[in-house]
Amino acid sequence: MRNKEYSYDNSVHKMGRITLSLGFLASLLPPLMLWFIYRIFPPLDSLLKGIFNISFFMLPVSIVEVLTFAPILGAGAMYMSYLTGNVSNMKIPSAAIAMEAADVKSSTKEGEIVANLAIAGSIIATEIVLVIGVFLLLPLSDQLNNPLIRPAFEQILPALFGSIGAYYILKEWKLAVIPLTLAILLSIFVGSKYISVIIPVCVIASMFSARVLYKKKIVKPMDK
Amino acid sequence: MDITMREYLKVANGNIFYICGVVIALIVFLQALLFIRLSFKEGKKHGLSKQQMIKAVRTGATVSFIPAVSILISLIAMAPVLGIPFPWLRLSIIGSAPYELLAAGIGAKAMGVDNLGSEGFTREVFANSIWIMTLGSFWAVSIVVFFLKKYQKGYSKFTSDPGWKNILINAAFLGVFSVFIADPVTTGGLPLITLLAGAIFMTIFAILITRLKIKWLKEFALTFSMILAMVVAAVFSNLIL
Repeated sequence: MRNKEYSYDNSVHKMGRITLSLGFLASLLPPLMLWFIYRIFPPLDSLLKGIFNISFFMLPVSIVEVLTFAPILGAGAMYMSYLTGNVSNMKIPSAAIAMEAADVKSSTKEGEIVANLAIAGSIIATEIVLVIGVFLLLPLSDQLNNPLIRPAFEQILPALFGSIGAYYILKEWKLAVIPLTLAILLSIFVGSKYISVIIPVCVIASMFSARVLYKKKIVKPMDK
Repeated sequence: MDITMREYLKVANGNIFYICGVVIALIVFLQALLFIRLSFKEGKKHGLSKQQMIKAVRTGATVSFIPAVSILISLIAMAPVLGIPFPWLRLSIIGSAPYELLAAGIGAKAMGVDNLGSEGFTREVFANSIWIMTLGSFWAVSIVVFFLKKYQKGYSKFTSDPGWKNILINAAFLGVFSVFIADPVTTGGLPLITLLAGAIFMTIFAILITRLKIKWLKEFALTFSMILAMVVAAVFSNLIL
């Protein structure tokens, strides 16, 4: 029996590693097509600057997230979740509700299997919704460039970050004070040309201020 | 008024990228089906009935329907600036809408452009955004591919303070978000109006969710307030013109 369980775990890791790597490689296809078919490639220094900036926070965030999610989700669920994203808002709730409905505990083998199945179901449902949506959207693709609405879509980043900013400030405003003040000061006095300096500085300052606030018990753990 | 489509968008809506989207969607389906098969086999050994297991798949699917619609709405919001196939294929894998927009924003900023799809958003800027969206997920994927197996064999060693881990993630994101919030604050104008509108709508939604206990709204709060803020931007830009 023990031997069999071990072989299940091994096949999960093997299958997961192959499919997840395959998915990432496939995600490289679109930018490669831009390069090889349309001959469009960004200036190398801008690309490297961008990679540095995104890595500067995605690397620590990814490490901590994997450490956090791995004990909650089983191995199979992890490989599926990392291929398709939306872990905390979709994958974990799906798994939790399915385990409750099936009356199994999360730390058992039964729980792990129910979680796998629920997450697979969640992925299939999401992809079907997206495919239907894209299909319905196709005839409208020219309308989306209507000059009346176009300025609105160019403001998608301020629209998103205004909403996200309010969300954080309502949840735990004390965490936002240092990074926000610093970012505004840097934006005025340094300018967004030096983005490769500004992002790392703000991320470090934000994490440092969070550490101090947490140690002094000024902020409490959040629920999400 | 100039109605011509921005040049990069003709490229962004190219057929080849729909094909890439199909390839990616097939890999996603394939993985889910392979894991369903493996889990059914293993579940039988542990005494789970077929009905129980089908029910688990169904529960996962039904629970995800509403969040999936919310993802679809954000896809529609992204389509005018990034085309249809790119948001589709990016949202099919790895990232969520906020991550993708953040990464696209970093790619554009690295080339000195603040607004996605604006005047200076050339084909090269677009390409940089796409590369950053794609490569930004490299870390998460490789950590899972290379270290998950080892980690799950002995994670009792790492059971450090979960409350702090949660705050650390939020703080790291907040650091980057601040940079993108600071921009409209210092430039003012339409971006600032849009930013403030987003903040006001989110606050209204938060009040509706907590005071009136409208639970389903939670899934949509971010997407809705983003779109309402863009509506405000449309109204203002057309009034000023």
